[in-house]
This record gives sequence, C-alpha cells and structure tokens, in this order.
Amino acid sequence: MNASKQLLSQQRQPLIRFLGKRTIPSKIDHTPQAHPAAPTHQLPESFAAYRQKAQQHGPLNQQHHFSSGGIGGQSGASLGPVEAGKGNYFDRSELPKRFQRLAWTQAEIEAVESGGASLFA
Amino acid sequence: MFRSAVPRAAPRSLLRPVGGAQSTFRASNIYYQDRLRRFYASESEEKDLVIIGGGVAGYVAAIKAGQSGLKVACIEKRGSLGGTCLNVGCIPSKSLLNNSHLYHQILHDTKHRGITVGEVKIDIAQMMKAKESSVTGLTKGIEFLFKKNNVEYIKGTGAFQDEHTVAVNLIDGGETTVRGKNIFISTGSEATPFPGLTIDEKKVITSTGAIALQEIPKKMVVIGGGIIGLEMGSVWSRLGSEVTVVEFLGQIGGPGMDAEISKQIQKMLTKQGMKFKLNTKVTQGDDSGESVKVNVEAAKGGKEEVLDADVVLVAIGRRPYTAGLGLENIGLETDEKGRIVIDQEYRTKIPHIRAIGDVTFGPMLAHKAEEEGVAAVEYLTKGYGHVNYGAIPSVMYTHPEVAWVGQNEQELKAANVKYRVGTFPFSANSRAKTNLDTEGLVKFISDAETDRILGIHIIGPNAGEMIAEGTLALEYGASSEGKPTNNYKLSTLLIITLDVARTSHAHPTLSEAFKEAAMATYDKAIHY
Repeated sequence: MNASKQLLSQQRQPLIRFLGKRTIPSKIDHTPQAHPAAPTHQLPESFAAYRQKAQQHGPLNQQHHFSSGGIGGQSGASLGPVEAGKGNYFDRSELPKRFQRLAWTQAEIEAVESGGASLFA
Repeated sequence: MFRSAVPRAAPRSLLRPVGGAQSTFRASNIYYQDRLRRFYASESEEKDLVIIGGGVAGYVAAIKAGQSGLKVACIEKRGSLGGTCLNVGCIPSKSLLNNSHLYHQILHDTKHRGITVGEVKIDIAQMMKAKESSVTGLTKGIEFLFKKNNVEYIKGTGAFQDEHTVAVNLIDGGETTVRGKNIFISTGSEATPFPGLTIDEKKVITSTGAIALQEIPKKMVVIGGGIIGLEMGSVWSRLGSEVTVVEFLGQIGGPGMDAEISKQIQKMLTKQGMKFKLNTKVTQGDDSGESVKVNVEAAKGGKEEVLDADVVLVAIGRRPYTAGLGLENIGLETDEKGRIVIDQEYRTKIPHIRAIGDVTFGPMLAHKAEEEGVAAVEYLTKGYGHVNYGAIPSVMYTHPEVAWVGQNEQELKAANVKYRVGTFPFSANSRAKTNLDTEGLVKFISDAETDRILGIHIIGPNAGEMIAEGTLALEYGASSEGKPTNNYKLSTLLIITLDVARTSHAHPTLSEAFKEAAMATYDKAIHY
C-alpha cells in the first residue's frame, strides 16, 4: 500500500481545481454598480436620482427586501409600511396610477343623476 | 352607495373605459371594485417578463424564462426570430463562407491532391438558396422552442408607453399593449452608416447586402478591415471579385486581435488575392454614377487616391439600435455611443427594466448576448447570474480561421504585465500536414511568474473550434469562487499552461498544436 501511495505522490497533480456545483453566494450586494464591461467604470447620476425619487413610493432602496431579485420572494407585508415618513406626505397624483382617483365617465354621471335609469334607456 | 345604484347586470367595464383619465374623487369602496376590473379587462394579463427584441439575447432570455416558469412574451418586428445573427449575420455569412471556400478549393486546390475536376461553375442563385434554407431552418427552430417553453411570441414593433407597458404595432395590422412586471430591452444593433454614402444594399452595402448580392461584382471596396469586412471580403474575393480593404488603423482584424497574428493573417489573405490599404482613411464617397467612387488618403494626411468599385461594403462597425423604442417616454437615456447604460445586474436606472446584448456594453457578439440572456433571467429568478467578460472568445471565419480569447500582447505590455509566449506552427502538426493545410499557428501567452494562461491566439483551419479548449482553460483561471474578475492576481484558481501541456490530445489532430504551444510556453515543444 505504501508503494502505491508513494507512486501516487510522485504523480503530477494538475493545478486546476474545480469549483464543484455552482451555488448562489449567500451574500449578494444588489446595490447598483458599474457594469464590468462599461467603458467609464461608473454609473451616471441618474441611477441614484431615480432610486431617490422612487424611494418615496416604496422601499426601493431597502436592499434586503426589494432588490433581492426573486419574484414573489418576499411577502408584501415584509416590505414594511408604505406610509410616508414623519413630516412627509404623498400627493395622490404622484402615486402609481392604481392609487390615483378615477375620473367619472359621462355614463356614470348620468347613471347617478338618473338614479340608474340611464342604464336601461 | 353608488354600488346599489348600478344593477349587477351591468358590468363595470361597460361604464369605465380601460385606462381612462383618473383624477376626480371617488368613494373608497369603488377603488376595490376597480381593482376587480382586472378580471374583465380585455387587454392581456400582466407578464412576469416582456422582452423587446427576439435576437440572440432576447430569444435565449425568453426560452430560459419560460423554462424557469415565468410568464413571458417576446416582441419581434422582423417577422422571424434570431435577430441579426441568424437572419443577416453570423449564420448566412457562414453558409456563404463555407460554400465559397469549397468552390475556391475545388478551383485552386485539387490537382496536387490527385483530384482532377472538370469545368467548375458558380451558381450564385443556388448558393443564396442554400443559405436561405439554413437560415429558415434555424429561425423556425426557435419558434418551435418558444412553443415548447410557453413563450408568447408577438410579431410587431414594441415601444415603451410607460415603465410597465409596451405598445406593440403588430406586423399583421392592429395594435396591442402588453404589460410586464419586468422588461428586457434586447433590440440589438445596426450597421453604422458611412457619412456621404447612401446605403442602398445594392451598390453601397452593409453586411446585410453583402450576403444577398445577386451577381459577383468585378471590383469591391471594403471600408473597414474588421472581422465583418474581412469575412465578407473573403467570400466575394473567392468568388472572383477584386477586393480592396481600406482600414484606418495600422492593423486588420480590429483592435482585439494580437498584432503578430494580425500581420500573419494579412499576409495569408493577401496571398489569396485581397488587397489592403492600412493607415488609410476614406475622405469622400460618390455613388451617383454607375460605379461608386471612393476617395482615400493616408490617415496622417497624404496624397489622395480615388478607388473605383462596382460595390462598396461599409463595415466600419455597428451601433446600438434603439430607434422608435420610446425610451424618451420612460426617461431612459443612452451613452455617447447610443448604448443603454446598465449596472452589474443589467438593470437600467429603472430597476425592473434591463438591457442585454448589442444594445448595451461589451463586445457585439452573439455568444456574449446569449450568456447575458441567461444571466439576466437568473438575476430575476435566483437573484444571481454570472458572465465572465474576461473569457469571451472571438473568431474570424476567414480561411484559415483566426480565433482568440483573453488578452493580447499589446494589452499586456500596456498593463506592464510580465508574460511569456509559446507558439507552435501548424506546419509542424501532423494532421495539418496530411490535410495539406498548414498555414497558421497557435500562440499561448502566460504569466511569467505563475504560468497562468492570459491569452490564446490561433490562426488555423480549425481555430474557431479549437479556441473552445482555450476558453475553458481561461474560464477556470479567471474565476474565483464564481465571482467574475478580470484581475488575475486576485484569483485563487489557476489553470496553467502545464495543465494543458500535460493533457493528452488525440493524434493526429490539429488540437495537438494547442498542446505543443502550451508546452513551448514554459519549456520546448517536442515537434518543433
């Protein structure tokens, strides 16, 4: 046995080491950084500016939540409250469309005014 | 209140036009009713992913997303999938390169092999037909893969309406909109036009016209001695055209090609009949007459010369294609070269909109786009993707082929890296000798201290296939625990020339030259 051990040790071990099964790193930094192939190696101002603006409508900058990538990876509740911070307020017209007020349509106005009769006219 | 006034029989969708103006007050209970309206809406459901552009980046991303279980739609305006690569780029040009090479070989390279051939004629229409059948076979194949992987294929031109909605002008008439939680922009690139020459794809052509000429031009001028120019120049030169390549830089093959390799392939192509004018700029072009006149002079200024050609191929590069995409509607800007600016996860400044392929940074290569398509979808589904930009091979499919991966000597000199070079010529390779096709060499560049492979450059009949081994070697050398890095000093993983040199390569094969070049890097090659 020792002889074969000795033989084995004399054999050249390739220096290549394999990574094994690829795994997703446990900690990933999702904050925007310059793309590796970007010529300037820096992101334009607009990236930070957009996130700053988007922040007031949702927790876009909260790294550990929103930017984790997986669709449906987190529950809505875990994203934290959506209320404006102390001293801030949301203008309804600045909110996403689904939170904004709807316009009355002419048919609706008529329906109200006629007590619903216009629907059968 | 209002609810009771409206009988159940009247669906709310009748009352409210979808997407109507939304500004006046309404009671809170109606807000919820409005949310329920989603079930009645006529527009299609919201997708997990909408991809604009069905080229290599887009279709690969679409299939990958379909396989991952996302609801995905891919918008393509060409009418066939596969983008530039499959329709008017890599694939049709390779068909022509292969067949024109066969023709050229039968014409000039049979007698000494003991084959006597009779009259050899070219049937250009049939050659084009063969090309088209390869293309259709492949594009239809992708359509099948779309069906197999539940990808909705929308034939039309997509434009951003807002950050989540893409309006599509359908090819068959009509319009539709599609909403996506995530949107990928993969609209690709187009040939950069040359100022002063109007591209009609007949007399003044881009690569698109160069694969569809109906007759062989007597004289052809190629503006730009990059890969596209040299490949298409080769095709028509083999078929009988007198081809002159005008290049502004001092070397052909583009800036990525190793200078020594570039010189050698230039000699080989010159021997095949192509003419080169390096360090030369085109000052003016005139396409008003029957032929096209191109004025050229030395790049540093000098005597002007007029080149006369039946066809001028403009191959000065490609630029990102975003026209009509409605980027202004969502406030996305491009950089000075028209590329969409992205971060390391392919996100634009609007995080759910990503850009991949030619439309953004990096080399405009189909295999790079493919890698990005997969990685971008993985960022969506797993939160993590990986493309190693330091190990993307480049291939020029002339004859002999030229292929390289990693860094070249000029780059290493500029970065002050100490390196060693090992080369092995195909003239000393047994298989190349039996094939009577011995032009070319394999060149290894490795780190002087660690022997780590930094770059591999090949000229040879099978270089495009052989570079795969080099890319694999470099990929293992350049990645450290899965993190992409171009910094070789940071790497803990090494594959060195010794590993390649000690690996058995079958005999007789061209790949033995690969092994011997690796040997030559740290010691001496056996057969040279």
